[in-house]
Amino acid sequence: MQAKPKALTYLDIFTAVLMLISVGMVFFYAPMEAVMGNVQRVFYYHVAVGWVGMLSFFAAAIAGILYLKSKDRKWDMFALAAVEIGIVFIFLNIVTGSIWARPIWNTWWTWDPRLTTATIMELIYFAYLMLRQGIEDPDRRARFGAVYVILGFVSVPLTFFSARLFRTIHPVVIGTNQPGAEGQFDMTPKMVHTFLFSLFTFTFVFIDLMWHRLRLGRFADQVEQLKLRLSL
Amino acid sequence: MIFLSLLQEGPAQTTAYMIAGYGVIFIVMAIYIFSLWLRWKNLHRDQEMLKSLLPAKTKETESGKERNS
Repeated sequence: MQAKPKALTYLDIFTAVLMLISVGMVFFYAPMEAVMGNVQRVFYYHVAVGWVGMLSFFAAAIAGILYLKSKDRKWDMFALAAVEIGIVFIFLNIVTGSIWARPIWNTWWTWDPRLTTATIMELIYFAYLMLRQGIEDPDRRARFGAVYVILGFVSVPLTFFSARLFRTIHPVVIGTNQPGAEGQFDMTPKMVHTFLFSLFTFTFVFIDLMWHRLRLGRFADQVEQLKLRLSL
Repeated sequence: MIFLSLLQEGPAQTTAYMIAGYGVIFIVMAIYIFSLWLRWKNLHRDQEMLKSLLPAKTKETESGKERNS
């Protein structure tokens, strides 16, 4: 396996610095929300991790299309890496949403359209990993996986627009809010700065993790090749 | 609940939920990064072992060929 590229080390450091600044902004720069109190600060990372999750699934769908066009296994590896990261971050999105909901909606969970579609989306991509486990032939696994991530991507815009299309209590950050939404707040300029910086930071977290996960995938492939050589 | 909070003079006391939220985020991210590192380490160990077996296997194949010829 090749040594860790210098660019990746720089990216690690840059991402870590961004994270530190972002944490500082969340806790010390952004003001406390007047009604909800400190729990509103969860919002900055709740949205940011959701953004990373959806970005990952989008990247996986693009990789799926590219695999079907080129039959190059690297795109299958890319899709798997993106889905794995997406699952972790959508899980965080759901859990932090639940923690925020407890004091604001007075419940940990409700079958609201946004919460339901997000959970279905998470389960769809979890099933992708199970599907892969069930197919031994690598080419067949890659082909089925590619089709699955393309079709599964339907759940992403459905989740994103669910708070806008259906009657929901989930607040909408960008766009018109539902009349029944609870937990809505007006962002001050400092809140907007913190929110946008968190999105920026987590975009780099995504790129950094993807790079690491892709290297791991390539390494696993090399070890698999070695095993094949030994078994022949 | 938000309606009760509206009746309060100051913001609602929700610091514990904020700590829980950020705690979950940092712990899960740390676990994921650790899992990447652990998988890398295991693959490295496997690679070393397979590489050490490979010369023996090559010799075995070559001696088999010589015997056949």
